[in-house]
Amino acid sequence: MSLINNRNSYRAFLLISFIALNILVLFGISSILAYLNEGADRSTMLHLDKVSANTYLPKVTWKSLENPGREMEKQTLATLEKHYLFSWYIKNNALKNNTDKGIDDYFTENPRKTLDTIIKNNKAKKISIESTTLTHNPKLEFYSEDGQLVVFTDENVVEFQNIYQDKKLITSVKDTATYKVLMLLEDGFWRIRHCERMAKVADSLKVNSIEKVFTVKGNQILKNNKPFVIKGINYYPKNSAWDMYGDLFNLDTIAADFDIITNAKLNTIRIFVPYEDFGKAEVIIEKLEKLKQVLTLAETKKLAVIVTLFDFYGDYSVANWTLTQRHAETVVSSCKDFDNIIAWDIKNEPDLDFESRGIQNVKPWLSEMIEVVKKAAPNHLTTIGYSNIKAGEILKDEVDLVSYHYYEHISLFEDKLAVLEKATNKPLVMQEFGMSSNKGFWSWFGNSKEDQATYHKKMQELFKEKQLAFVSWTLYDFPKVPNGVAGKWPWIKNKQKQFGFIDVEGRQKPSFLYITY
Amino acid sequence: MIKRKLYIIILVSIALVLLSVTLLDEKSTSKNTFSCLTNQESFAAGKPITIEFKGNYENKPQLFIIHSLGRTLLDGVLKNDTIQFNLPKNYTNKTGLVSWFLIENNEEKAKGNFQIVPNDKTKTNLESYLGPPSTLAGDNHFVMFVTIPTDDFDNPKLENTNVAIKHQFLNAIATDNKKTKDFIAWKNIYAPTKSGIVLISASCNEALTKEFDAVIYPSIATDFTISYKRNHEFADGNQITKLTTSTLKDKFGNTVSDGTMVTFIIKNKENAILKTFGTTIEGIATGQILHPEKEENYTIKAFVNGISKSNSIEIAYKSINPTVEFSFSKDNRTIIVGPIKSFMNQIVPDGIKVNLNIYHKDKLVETITENSNKGKAEFYLSPEFYKEKSYRFEIETLGKTIKTKEINVVNQ
Repeated sequence: MSLINNRNSYRAFLLISFIALNILVLFGISSILAYLNEGADRSTMLHLDKVSANTYLPKVTWKSLENPGREMEKQTLATLEKHYLFSWYIKNNALKNNTDKGIDDYFTENPRKTLDTIIKNNKAKKISIESTTLTHNPKLEFYSEDGQLVVFTDENVVEFQNIYQDKKLITSVKDTATYKVLMLLEDGFWRIRHCERMAKVADSLKVNSIEKVFTVKGNQILKNNKPFVIKGINYYPKNSAWDMYGDLFNLDTIAADFDIITNAKLNTIRIFVPYEDFGKAEVIIEKLEKLKQVLTLAETKKLAVIVTLFDFYGDYSVANWTLTQRHAETVVSSCKDFDNIIAWDIKNEPDLDFESRGIQNVKPWLSEMIEVVKKAAPNHLTTIGYSNIKAGEILKDEVDLVSYHYYEHISLFEDKLAVLEKATNKPLVMQEFGMSSNKGFWSWFGNSKEDQATYHKKMQELFKEKQLAFVSWTLYDFPKVPNGVAGKWPWIKNKQKQFGFIDVEGRQKPSFLYITY
Repeated sequence: MIKRKLYIIILVSIALVLLSVTLLDEKSTSKNTFSCLTNQESFAAGKPITIEFKGNYENKPQLFIIHSLGRTLLDGVLKNDTIQFNLPKNYTNKTGLVSWFLIENNEEKAKGNFQIVPNDKTKTNLESYLGPPSTLAGDNHFVMFVTIPTDDFDNPKLENTNVAIKHQFLNAIATDNKKTKDFIAWKNIYAPTKSGIVLISASCNEALTKEFDAVIYPSIATDFTISYKRNHEFADGNQITKLTTSTLKDKFGNTVSDGTMVTFIIKNKENAILKTFGTTIEGIATGQILHPEKEENYTIKAFVNGISKSNSIEIAYKSINPTVEFSFSKDNRTIIVGPIKSFMNQIVPDGIKVNLNIYHKDKLVETITENSNKGKAEFYLSPEFYKEKSYRFEIETLGKTIKTKEINVVNQ
């Protein structure tokens, strides 16, 4: 009996599809009914305070709360600050997307009218302005007795904006100005009644002479005023590469590795602080503690450290700058007492993001971040680890050390270095270089372990001749490499696994002899 | 020789070429310099603003402006070798520092700023707030009056603009000239020692505010006295004694606000505490208490909670010494108490409490309570519960206790 052309199987098919159709229809009707019966969320009737973490966190420092009116309460100040920052956030958003979303909540009627016309005009001319404010220094001028009116002067607000017309970048502008603001408390919202832009006021910043362990003189790095040549290595524990502060964090393993590094006569390590893993703007204390433990351990082993921030970060959008700045501020300021930190490396290979994220976003982000880090730890140096030697010239006047990575052929190195040496007279650090000994199934024409050793031998000869600072990639071969690092293709991943001086079993590879000069 | 000449010619021509190239280069850089022709640094709000530049350009330059409330990009108007930028109305109408950035080929070529100041030639508007809208008399209590003078474009006036703040109370009218600072001119108006309404207004140029009234409430009550009034002195459990305060006044002699709550605390002979409440009308609060049912001595004191107190008074209630009759039914299972007669031999009002204590062999079995009705109270001992043969009774009412003998009840 054939199954096809069988009357029974037709019947069964018809019956089952009929039942299935019925089930679907019933399910559809019931979900529509369920949706209609939901009703509005009753809590929306109340003016509950909105949870507002992680949207806009520029640095706010209240200068003075003294005023001839009522004494300012802590609670009110917190609400006022929150709503004032929201007004900026909403205005920034309005100018970026040309919408009036949220303006009703944070502006009173008259400024609202003006804002509406401004947004309409910009929309008609297809102008979009991505902007953010980075620092606010408000000074309370007046707080009324009934607690409904407040006037303050927000001194030296740092504003940054990227201006687009027809989706094409026109230019980036950074400016500083003071704003005098009058806000009224209406329906539980502090709303802007008057806001007047004024000239910036003279900064009364005190210049403190800070004791620095590592300093820069000409093209030399000094440690306690004596020349210090970085002979370093990029470090991840073998089994937790790119996830150093996760569940596999083990101080004993790290201590043993540091011993290997010091015994190899190296004096520096470079480690990474992943942005998301550390909790973004609200840095997770546990992770920070682990980082501090690693730094303390390095100090006891007499290892200097280059700490690379913002690993696995790649957003750079102007609207989120303030969040990243709070992240850096927390991490850097809580580690500022470590004398063994040579430099904060703002971001690993940010030049690779220029195209995908827009150079107009990345470059000013880097330059603002340098300032934030310098403010948080004035006793430490700053650098940016660019992906190639030519990129080293970017922002060369703002960093203390010029760092570059080198994965090209050795023969080209000296010429390329000469160009960079000519472009800047700051200390140069070769912050990553290496060769993968990945000859094998995935790469028939790859380099062997011997090739790797020869490569390092040649490099070290070059370094020795010129007394160059180097940080090699990397101590270990890694059994596992996350997809986020090198993608998911096994032949690329496999290459990334075998850059080490020590193999997966813990045996020194031939290259280990040439780990330093 | 010829060779040398040739060399020189070649060298000179090379030099010339180099020179011309550098000169050309310089020219091309000077091509992009702009100078701002607008020297005016301050403009009145509402007046048209034009910023003019002179210079050579390849592409049409644009002007980016940052203003108090907004930012925008302006396209210029070409006129010969100058380029003009006209600020839109919504920007010229609002005051503040305007920063401009001249942009050509995605590069900032020049920057500067100018000020827009409030336009004093337009109508002045005066926005004002009074808060709190009421306060207590005297004692440095005050209301705060805040004014924000603006021009007709809703821009706050410049600092040190004069605002006259006036206030009136009874016959006194005062004017105070205040100068604006931080957008506002303000004044604390201190409460007079007399309660009432203070009228406040302000003026700036020709602009006037409406009349604001700040209510000055009397301050808190000071100590007071209480007295009582009653129909008779008997503890009949029926009449009411009225407690009355003297007129409650604050320390300035103002009668306190109506509705001030007064609590009368009453202590009886057993030191038990009774309470009654009254709220003031025209400063006087009354409380009422029911006469007790037996001889009593009340000590009464009144308070405005946490604020002031009265003297303490004593009220004595005499027993009415009632005559109480009682009778039993045939089977002795129904006991009728009454008629109970009061101090003038009248029958007591309805609702007087009568207790019947039932004893068996000197042990209290139960207390039954009934209210009098037409001077009588009836008790029934149900055979289901009172199975014993003989009981003794005690009748209590209006402070009097009557004991019976042992009485036999009939069992079925």
